[in-house]
Amino acid sequence: MPTVLSFFVIAAYVVVLTFVAVRARAARRFSDFSLAGRALPLALVFGSLAATYVGPGFSIGFVGRGFKSGFLFLGIGLAYSVQNILVGLLIAPRLRALKDCHTLGDAIGQKYDRNCQIVAGIISVSVCTFFAAVMAHAGGVVINDIFGLPNWSSVIVVVGITALYTTFGGLRASVITDAFQFTTFAVLLPLTLLWVLIFHLDGGAATFARQAATATAGGLDSTPFIEIVGLVAAFLLGETLIPPYANRALASKTTRISRNGFMLAGVFSIVWFVVMISLGVAARSILPAGTDEDRVLLNLVGSLTHGGGYALLLVVLVSVVMSSLDSLLNAGAVAFTEDIVKPFAKLPDEKALNVGRGATIIIAAIAAAVAPAVPSVIVGLLICYTIWASAILPSLIIGLLVKRPRPLAGILSMGVGTFVAMSAIVFLFIFRSIIKAPAIIIPALGVALLAYALGHWLGRSKSGV
Amino acid sequence: MGIVIFAIVVVAALFAVCSGVWVATALVRAISRHRTTKAACRQQSGKTNNQDT
Repeated sequence: MPTVLSFFVIAAYVVVLTFVAVRARAARRFSDFSLAGRALPLALVFGSLAATYVGPGFSIGFVGRGFKSGFLFLGIGLAYSVQNILVGLLIAPRLRALKDCHTLGDAIGQKYDRNCQIVAGIISVSVCTFFAAVMAHAGGVVINDIFGLPNWSSVIVVVGITALYTTFGGLRASVITDAFQFTTFAVLLPLTLLWVLIFHLDGGAATFARQAATATAGGLDSTPFIEIVGLVAAFLLGETLIPPYANRALASKTTRISRNGFMLAGVFSIVWFVVMISLGVAARSILPAGTDEDRVLLNLVGSLTHGGGYALLLVVLVSVVMSSLDSLLNAGAVAFTEDIVKPFAKLPDEKALNVGRGATIIIAAIAAAVAPAVPSVIVGLLICYTIWASAILPSLIIGLLVKRPRPLAGILSMGVGTFVAMSAIVFLFIFRSIIKAPAIIIPALGVALLAYALGHWLGRSKSGV
Repeated sequence: MGIVIFAIVVVAALFAVCSGVWVATALVRAISRHRTTKAACRQQSGKTNNQDT
């Protein structure tokens, strides 16, 4: 039950967040709204990237996985770290180097043609909206858990506050508040781990190592090989350059900051996974063995602290959710304006800014409406990963690396990739028992790559080259 | 071995805390720089007005 102290802690957090959001100021031009004036320094690019990818899955989810399967998920999570470092080395600087580029759709439009830009824009907006719905669902669960509010009103509170500062401040407000939220959870959760290790773990280092070894061996025994392969593929490809990350690459002050921001975020993710999984491993000596995975972090802090400590955890979890949600709302709104509206209508700057703001509100409203229907955070994220990886990645990455990519290849790959990913997801729901969720990303991506190759070959024969 | 794993975990936690502090410093600099820029702009426009009058 919430106490006076917990209300005080939460009120203090809301006051500081409001102060930070107000200081981030309202965007006055579309370039402020979409790219924060292309002037972000390294620390803010890094903090914002890390705040965006550390969502409920990389916090609550990883603590639960550490509790259940020890350091097995560190190995799987490393695929994500490698992906970030590779994007930093190979893709982000190329993206930042493109001129007049606000979105991934813009990048695809410059490399292929306008039709490809529109298709990429539709996919970007849809994926951002569904990702936002997943985050809204997670935020609703946290608020509901603490205050006992009905689910729909918990979702409205989280989405409403986030949409408010994102609508007015655009990317700059999103990045500045991300930095504040990153600071909150990057300091508080590791300190919680140190506090548990030093004061609450009977047997110290030896107990921790024994628990880690037992849990990891158990995790390896109970996880089929194909599921591990699917999870590695999902972590390696699923979140690669999703629109909020691409916006941060484009908004960096220089190409060097863009590259280093991604590489640092990749290194930080390794450290973060170690901390989260260690919290789960440490919890094995404190909580009963049958504790639900998603409740390990909440129960661990709840069992060791009262009132204020639990409220601090709530603040951390709300930060985790809001920092991902604001980035998705802004990225979706910018993609809508730049890739879907602008190719059809010439928009003066002020009008583009208003369209962007309106789109933020509409995406937030759709996300809030869809949130209660999201089956679970993990399933929701896997759906987004599968669609994104197969629909966009082949066209985007090949387009950035190859000199003269062919528009037909881009359109075919995006169309076929989306269709196959959607069909695979429908199959997943019908034949839940025989298809392993994370593994569907591999065939879907394979078909999208084949479609790209076919389009490239057909395009070449058409142009007679 | 146990001590090594424990030490790695503690170092990782401290590294994460330091990252948080680094980003917090950049955040403070970013929002106070904005105030300085705004104040400078206001001062500049005030000066121009005086000259006009």
